[in-house]
Amino acid sequence: MALFSNAAVLLGKELRTEYRSRELLTTTVVFILVVVVLFSFTFDPSAGESRRFGPGLLWLSFLFAASLMLQPCFLREQNNDTLSALRLSVRDPFAIFLAKLSANTLFLLLTEVLMLPIFAVLYNVHILAVFPQLVLVLFLGSLGVAIPGTAFSAISAQARMRELMLPLLLLPLLTPVLLASTEATGGLLEEHPGLRVDWLGFLAGFDVVFLTALWLFGEYLLEE
Amino acid sequence: MKNLDSVLAAYLAGWAIFFVYYISISQRMSTLREEVERLKALLTKGK
Amino acid sequence: MLKSTVKAIGLFVLIAITAYLAFYYAPIEKSMGVIQKIFYLHVSSALTSFLAFGICFYANLRYVFTRQQKADWLGVSAAEVGLAFIVVVLITGPIWAKPVWGIWWTWDARLTLTFVLGLLYISYLLLRSMIEEPEKRALFSALFGIFAFLDVPLVYFSIRWWRTQHPQPVILGGPGSGLEPRMRVSYLLMWGALTGLLILLLSARYRLEALRASVEDLRREAEVR
Repeated sequence: MALFSNAAVLLGKELRTEYRSRELLTTTVVFILVVVVLFSFTFDPSAGESRRFGPGLLWLSFLFAASLMLQPCFLREQNNDTLSALRLSVRDPFAIFLAKLSANTLFLLLTEVLMLPIFAVLYNVHILAVFPQLVLVLFLGSLGVAIPGTAFSAISAQARMRELMLPLLLLPLLTPVLLASTEATGGLLEEHPGLRVDWLGFLAGFDVVFLTALWLFGEYLLEE
Repeated sequence: MKNLDSVLAAYLAGWAIFFVYYISISQRMSTLREEVERLKALLTKGK
Repeated sequence: MLKSTVKAIGLFVLIAITAYLAFYYAPIEKSMGVIQKIFYLHVSSALTSFLAFGICFYANLRYVFTRQQKADWLGVSAAEVGLAFIVVVLITGPIWAKPVWGIWWTWDARLTLTFVLGLLYISYLLLRSMIEEPEKRALFSALFGIFAFLDVPLVYFSIRWWRTQHPQPVILGGPGSGLEPRMRVSYLLMWGALTGLLILLLSARYRLEALRASVEDLRREAEVR
């Protein structure tokens, strides 16, 4: 159980760092806001149209925002030369990933929940009745983004043009997450909302597959 | 024999891609060989 | 040099035979007509590209666990050659689809999977070109390759699932059961020929990568002096 207590300590560190500056959260929220507003010019956001296109553009903006937000995750450690210290501080390197991906999931979820009411108002959709189900979809989707995202943040930190490399590595891989999350969200925004359990199960499966892969290969991602 | 031209186009395009790819490998190969010669000459001269 | 020329000629003869078989020996398909003959190349290329990416996945795993430079060479070669096959699939596909469906492209599960697969391996090659240090490049691209390969079944099932709930054009099943025997022979031979081509391209690309590694070594040596 040392894994979880280590991860909890590191998670605390991540959250404290973010709480002090709040840079990541503010910029991400503003970014999503900009994208959502710009998207509204590309079609007529009446209630019917929004139900068709809304979930997709919402998740697309989340994905783009995440691929930007995940940049500093390992870059910060590299710039300050803290990665080796971090590795020495834990017995199982998976604890580092567990902490970072929990923090990233939390940040993503927070920005998404903040964005939802604004999205609902701008695009004429009703979310109040299905809010808890929506949060569940958001959680599983964000986890699906954060798991490979955290891993690839460690990869792209080693490359040139890393700001472009992370989206390039991450976005094609997230095709299944985009599809499943969009469909699940779409089901909740319909006139007679229904929870799409099949897609939720798929998202959970995606999360499990990549969490296992990260558990198996995480230690190699931290080599320098 | 409707659409025969499409079939021919597809096969030609397919084989052309493989051929061009093979040529590109050989070309990259010969550039690298020259580079090896140049570097080797440079290294022996330096001795 | 002579040996590789002989190999290339042998392969050319094999391809000529398969082309003959596909065009004259195999009967013309009843519902689709002569256009169905594109399938021999199209389907076989798709299968061969999957084989190439499978080899890439094996090489990636092998590199991560053994750190042999050779595994890295095999990985990058397989990815690049696989991409060449994917390009053939993506070009022959629309040429077939236009007369049959009346459209060049549709977001069908198999087409989309091929496209996403191509994108993933383009990213893999791009990542390699963006990391300078050979050992880092090998390790991190191998790790990305492993993640990318794990994604393939997930992409396939998500799109198939998604598409079954949306209207889709009628798809004539690929080479399934009940295939005419002469067609089956043509398919098998074409696949065999393309696998031969895969091996030829793979070994050529592998030698290129080995040469590149020795150039990198020589350059470093020259810089030290």
